[in-house]
Amino acid sequence: MTFTSVSWFLFLPAVYLLFRYSADRWRWLVLLLASYGFYASFRAPYLLAVLLVVTGASYLCALRIAASQEESRRRRWLWGGTAACGAPLMLVKYLPALQTEANSLLGVSWTFCATLITVAVSYFTFQAISYLADIYLELEEPERHFGRYALYLAFFPKLLQGPIERGGDLLPQLRQPYRFDYQAMRSGLVLFGWGLFQKVVIADRLALYADQVYDRVHDYSGVSLILATYAYAFQIYYDFAGYTDMARGTARLFGVNLTENFNAPYRATSVADFWRRWHISFSRWILDYIFKPLQMGWRHWGKGGTAAALVITFLISGVWHGATKGFLVWGLLHGIYLASAISWQPVQKRVYGWLGGEKRGWLKWWRVFVTFNLVCLAWVFFRASTLADAWYVISHSLYGMKGLRSGLLMSQGLFELLFTLLLVASAGTIGRALKSLPEQRSAARRWCLYYAVAVVILFFGQATKSSFIYTKF
Amino acid sequence: MTIIERLNQTFRLVFDDDSLQIHPHTTANDVDGWDSLSHVNLITTIEATFRVRFTQKELLKQRNVGDLVADLERKLAGA
Repeated sequence: MTFTSVSWFLFLPAVYLLFRYSADRWRWLVLLLASYGFYASFRAPYLLAVLLVVTGASYLCALRIAASQEESRRRRWLWGGTAACGAPLMLVKYLPALQTEANSLLGVSWTFCATLITVAVSYFTFQAISYLADIYLELEEPERHFGRYALYLAFFPKLLQGPIERGGDLLPQLRQPYRFDYQAMRSGLVLFGWGLFQKVVIADRLALYADQVYDRVHDYSGVSLILATYAYAFQIYYDFAGYTDMARGTARLFGVNLTENFNAPYRATSVADFWRRWHISFSRWILDYIFKPLQMGWRHWGKGGTAAALVITFLISGVWHGATKGFLVWGLLHGIYLASAISWQPVQKRVYGWLGGEKRGWLKWWRVFVTFNLVCLAWVFFRASTLADAWYVISHSLYGMKGLRSGLLMSQGLFELLFTLLLVASAGTIGRALKSLPEQRSAARRWCLYYAVAVVILFFGQATKSSFIYTKF
Repeated sequence: MTIIERLNQTFRLVFDDDSLQIHPHTTANDVDGWDSLSHVNLITTIEATFRVRFTQKELLKQRNVGDLVADLERKLAGA
């Protein structure tokens, strides 16, 4: 079951009604059972076992960290808990890939480890590790109520793809008594609707164009490859941002505010700025728990230490997405972009000074354009099926237009092309209009827009794609 | 000169701003140019100026100038 499944639209109201009409002291249990039931819908019992192991291990280790006075004991419980949480993730995520490589290198055909689905494991594991680290750093007190802690990891609106919530942000909300708030309900439902619109109307429509090219790259060249990459850039954004808004909207129904995960990432004026706007909960996680410790540990190497910390952090980020060379190169590229900016920044500042200052309109848009294309260059490796395909896309993007008209632009017909372009151009306006709706006094105006969005979703939503891109990470 | 006054001088040197005035609640959001790279410069300069060495845990726990001052006071008192 995902947010776009038919069963979801039966599950959510049922859970809400049970939650709403339960005694407040049992509401955590309703949500916990609903969350485990939601996870069980993937019909992979080992996933529930992994969630239980990570929950139990991190809960116990956090209590032991807090109870220990001696620094070395606290550190042992931290590393022990991190290993206990990280090991299942490594096993389910990377063992199948290691088996494939071993088969290829050794000329055998082991199959003891079939491809396992790993949905949600990364996200709750990262949450558990951040919780342990925050307890160790004495930034938070441990949660002693096991059920509430289990809910912190398993809360179903954010289970599959995050946001990766910090203990200090989510646990206090789970402790608060629930008070029905009509405005929160309304804004939550509107946010969910907008998220659904982004996913099934915009993202899945852009996927038709991106997949057309990326599934058969050798049939295309030049502008076709560039446009397909741009289409993928917007597809992945609307797919993930759509999911996040659906998660945040759902959580609001239960009185919980989840973290914002995106802030207009393609308006970034540098790659560093992009990472402050894209998958914010994940980039904060790798910044706080990987980059900063490395950077501080290597601080006496000056800029070299910071550069090395950035490259390693983003290599790990690439590997987290998947055990393929494409993800590794994607991560490495971002690491190199950020590391080279350290040396480039002083020169850049001087150049911008000569050009009249970095706030000048045209210079700002130039920086947005360059940043967007650097990010898209990395997306090529993220999306392409193989490294060879990625290299083909890059080496054949600058000339030709093979497959442009009949293969790409007209593949879905003229109406679809124009409608898609209109959607992408107006998405920001539609989103802002919807989010400001709950404040509108005119009920007629609100209901007209709700109806229009519902009609577009029903009649123009792409029924073919039901999975979210980031569910597989 | 108090620790925070000496620290203020260090901040002015690192951020090249003679008008900078820090206080215990100052964070990176309050100082122009205080990013992750300049933060490393700041820390290594503070360590050299005050002849201390922060532990990894102390550095990761610090959230504002007040935390920095508290760590410095503890280290200088223990020296």
